[in-house]
Amino acid sequence: MVIPVIYIAVRSFDNGSQRWLELLDTRIPFLLEKTLSLTLAVTLLGLLIGVILAILVVNTNLPGRRIWRWLLVIPLTIPPYVGAVSYIILLGPSGWVEGWFGSTIDVFSFPIVVLILTGFTYPYIYLIVSASLQKINPSFEEAGYISGLSPLGVIRKVTIPMVRPAIGSGAILVALYIVSDFGAVAMLRYPTFTQAIYFQMGSFDRVGASIFSLILILITLVFLYLQYLSKRRMKFYQIDGTSKEPVLIDLGKWKTPALLFVGTVFGLFAAIPIAVLLYWSGIAVASGVIDSRFFQFTMNSFTAAAITSALCLVFALPLIYVKTRFSSVLSRMVDVISYLSYALPGVIVALGVIFIFINYLPFMYGTIAMLIMAYMMRFLPQSLQSTESSMGQVSPKIDEAALSLGRRPVQVLNQVILRLIQPGMIASFSLVFVSVIKELPATLLLRPAGFDTLSVRVWIETSDGFYAMAAPSALLIIIISILPIRWVMNKY
Amino acid sequence: MNVRKLWLIAILALLAVVMVACGSDSADEAASGSVDTNSDEAVKASEELEGELVIYSSRKEEFVQPILDKFTEQTGVEVHLLATDETVVNRIVEEQVNPQADIFFSNDTAAMEYLHLEGILQPYEGEDAKVIDEKYRASDNSWIGLSARTRGFIYNKDLISEEEMPQTIEELADPKWDGQYAITRGGNGSMIAHVAALRAEWGDDKTAEWLQESGKNAGAVLSGHGDIRKAVGAGEFKFGLVNNYYYHQQLAEAEGNNVGFIYPDQGEDEMGAFVNAAGIGFINGAPNPENAEAFISFMLEEDNMKDFAFNSKEVPLHPDVEAVPEALPISEYKTMDIPLSELGPVWNDAKQLIEQSGLPLEVQ
Repeated sequence: MVIPVIYIAVRSFDNGSQRWLELLDTRIPFLLEKTLSLTLAVTLLGLLIGVILAILVVNTNLPGRRIWRWLLVIPLTIPPYVGAVSYIILLGPSGWVEGWFGSTIDVFSFPIVVLILTGFTYPYIYLIVSASLQKINPSFEEAGYISGLSPLGVIRKVTIPMVRPAIGSGAILVALYIVSDFGAVAMLRYPTFTQAIYFQMGSFDRVGASIFSLILILITLVFLYLQYLSKRRMKFYQIDGTSKEPVLIDLGKWKTPALLFVGTVFGLFAAIPIAVLLYWSGIAVASGVIDSRFFQFTMNSFTAAAITSALCLVFALPLIYVKTRFSSVLSRMVDVISYLSYALPGVIVALGVIFIFINYLPFMYGTIAMLIMAYMMRFLPQSLQSTESSMGQVSPKIDEAALSLGRRPVQVLNQVILRLIQPGMIASFSLVFVSVIKELPATLLLRPAGFDTLSVRVWIETSDGFYAMAAPSALLIIIISILPIRWVMNKY
Repeated sequence: MNVRKLWLIAILALLAVVMVACGSDSADEAASGSVDTNSDEAVKASEELEGELVIYSSRKEEFVQPILDKFTEQTGVEVHLLATDETVVNRIVEEQVNPQADIFFSNDTAAMEYLHLEGILQPYEGEDAKVIDEKYRASDNSWIGLSARTRGFIYNKDLISEEEMPQTIEELADPKWDGQYAITRGGNGSMIAHVAALRAEWGDDKTAEWLQESGKNAGAVLSGHGDIRKAVGAGEFKFGLVNNYYYHQQLAEAEGNNVGFIYPDQGEDEMGAFVNAAGIGFINGAPNPENAEAFISFMLEEDNMKDFAFNSKEVPLHPDVEAVPEALPISEYKTMDIPLSELGPVWNDAKQLIEQSGLPLEVQ
């Protein structure tokens, strides 16, 4: 985990400070501006959409709110690069919109890029904020009404201030996602650091790539620190859960506009992309794209995902067991490391893994072991999180009791602990599985020749301009991602 | 009690180690298959090849896969293709202590020459390489050009006539063309090689100025040449700087095909058009060298060269293989003198020049 970061730092000074100065002069200010302006715009728009949706679904009598609660999470299961592909098909050169209206919307322009990226990341904010809204004790809001505030006034003066920490941490999650995203920005031809790192590697400029990586790591660290601050505040604000239903605001004549808003968001970022991909998959199927090659790509994806998910569990369980039983320095370290690696962009993880294998594990170089190691570095934290929550519910007293009743340790493990944490294990397996299926940058850079996965196919077909050919793989990725939506929602 | 708890942890940890060991073993088998075992067996008969061939390609998959399928069909060798982009060059450099690939399929000779200079390619001994003009292969045949890609202007005949078109590359810097043409991002391999050649011809200052001015003049900086040909065909721009086969491809389109092509700098004392080549490099320490040699030889056969070049409408470098009918044979226009192998050493400098000129390496 730490090795890739050190490797990158050292590499970036390979040629002394000369290359730094050159890049500081030209590329760095440009990339900084591009990356940060995109991050800021997406985060702000995401906040607007995410918070409004959360309030509508949790605090108002929006018709069908229980169904919307689920539907509005669906965009999270569509990887942004897949969303981008569907919008390129729709809006891009010779896309549908051009066919219908005779003119094009420039899908590669800044506002559209912002809209697309926001559409597939706002659920982070939406989920965290609605979880937090549900925890508010309604008496606070009741107090607001009694003091004569209008519904809007209550939302502004009572509700929003109480969920402010959740809003903050949702915003940082989105920001972290945007600075580390590779697939969507690359497909939408928007230059950010991740894309520069990727292309710099192609221009024999490893020093340049390392310099960009180091700056990107610094940006990430700043966001992580902000997240740490907001989390600390969140603890301070933590409000006890309550079984009382929140006071629902009557939307009145606003019912139609509200429904329209919710429907538009769902339509733009779930229904339309899925419909586009379904349509093109239909065409692709008819033209015989679903052949043995496609089957092989799917198998490759599944194999890599299954191995990684299993290995993550194997690593996570002992770590979490030790952590929950003997809270100590070790447990803190686990926290910090998983925190950091979660945010480390895939392009950088890939750079680091290449280095580790070439120098220390040459006999394994070029095998999928390398790919799986990168996946584990990226996704072990997810496994840690989901197993931790269920291990936390198994009191140490239970294993002590079992041991004192004469069970041998293996039996305790089998009959007690593993059985009790089964839900957590299933959640961990599914989340990691889906993340691997969706992963793009590390897979692109590390896959052995002939080991193309579904996500790689989406990339290759899109960059070659065969958008329709990308549809079946893209659709399959979405279907697999929707399956564990239950655990995705529980995470927040 | 505590001893037992420690036991529990120990068992969990042991389980972890065992499963990791199993996991990575099966992972190895799944991926590498029989890479190592094959190279020895393949020696036994020169005619009957078996095993596999690993190809890294920076060319579009659609322009490589068909000829690979033909090779597999004829020889029974299983081909593993890694189809990516220019980033694969870096991967080959990183892998030089532990090479994974046999053949590098490239769109650009400068990249191959760079690898040759770094000692990452090995010589190809076959006599058949000599059919290709010396200008288009490495001194030791460690890379061999297969098809030509000449830089020039594709133009929309509805918007501009052949006479009105600029006739030299230099004219792109003329403000009179402001906003009327499209060029590709500075990080594009063909663009970098072209700049490297111009630099050899013009020197640093003039090239830098030309880059700066034409970057400003361009109506759009697009990500690839495919976008340029489509945009020019659709009439979004009067013309664009592309490789000639994009013109041939655009002619084959159902719509927007009223386009022409200018080979620039053809005047008496002008420098001539810049010709790059797509080709294959033989990687030093290739795990399947026999199959790699067989593949190079296969690509040099007239039939295969024709199939390969026609697929992308590039111009075959084999003198006995005719080009697609719409292409002008290389012998009929003037080309720049600089041998492609001289571009390798100056490649990195060319990129820095582009970087400094402000022409974006990526699209914005």
